[in-house]
Amino acid sequence: MSDAVPVGIERLEHFESADQQREASALGMWAWLLTELLLFAGLFLIALILRILHPAAVTLAATHLKFWIGAANTAILICSSFTMSGAIELSRLGWQRGMVRCMLATAALGTLFLVLKGYEYYCDVVEHMVPFLDQPYALAADPATRLFVDVYFVTTGLHAMHLFTGVSILLVLTRMASRPGFLARHQNRIEIYGLYWHFIDVIWIIVFPVLYVLNR
Amino acid sequence: MTSEDRRLLWHHMRLPTISFAALLGLLAINVTLGATTPFRWAWMIEAGVTLCMVLVVLLVSMEVWRDTPLIRVFSMLGFFWVLIMFSMTLTDYLGR
Repeated sequence: MSDAVPVGIERLEHFESADQQREASALGMWAWLLTELLLFAGLFLIALILRILHPAAVTLAATHLKFWIGAANTAILICSSFTMSGAIELSRLGWQRGMVRCMLATAALGTLFLVLKGYEYYCDVVEHMVPFLDQPYALAADPATRLFVDVYFVTTGLHAMHLFTGVSILLVLTRMASRPGFLARHQNRIEIYGLYWHFIDVIWIIVFPVLYVLNR
Repeated sequence: MTSEDRRLLWHHMRLPTISFAALLGLLAINVTLGATTPFRWAWMIEAGVTLCMVLVVLLVSMEVWRDTPLIRVFSMLGFFWVLIMFSMTLTDYLGR
């Protein structure tokens, strides 16, 4: 392709080779992602235990969740994973312009997810489904529902925080990646960042059934 | 973009495209089951479909299947820890 640019890694002095540097970077990212996995797994476990201890209350609370917004958000994140994979593959080919467009599309899809999530929270407030706010709680007659609704807000809030951080970092990385010579020195940064984005996708792929689908 | 470029692009994007289509298909199954709840044990299929989706993202999108053995072991180890946590906790709650 006419606008293909050189691709490579600028080896740091404490690495013997570029391959070793690439592998160490991936391993470091995986080490961090595993701590994140354990964090979210604890929340999934709490949701499961609540389902075992209070099945009727959890079903009642889950029917108030916005199922179709959750489903749309899952589809949006799957699309964003596809565009991120596109950015990674194009970075390997040295097609910088296409890579930047894919990264911007990924950030746009991530932002769309956050907008829908914000609308979902707004609906929850309007429907008095936020027990920790200073307003009457719609399911106050069944106190056990509060436990599930609290887990819902903590889990989705934590995920949204990760996604917001992800979009912010992605926009900074896109700006850096659009400069001449970036792919010749730092191509692996796109791959390493891609691991994080796909991981956010994996977490939501679990969150959607655990909170929205299985409890209906 | 020349035909050679298109061929090269498809060669690189074939697997991500297939996994993208597979993920959307699996999501459609889960959404249909969640929206209709056709039978009592639908949650078993939903859990199985979710597991398949996670595996597709891990193995294909995150490229674990073609990573070095060290990273492959490391990534699977995390899920093994989660398995231990779930097993020990559920043994307690379900065995009471």
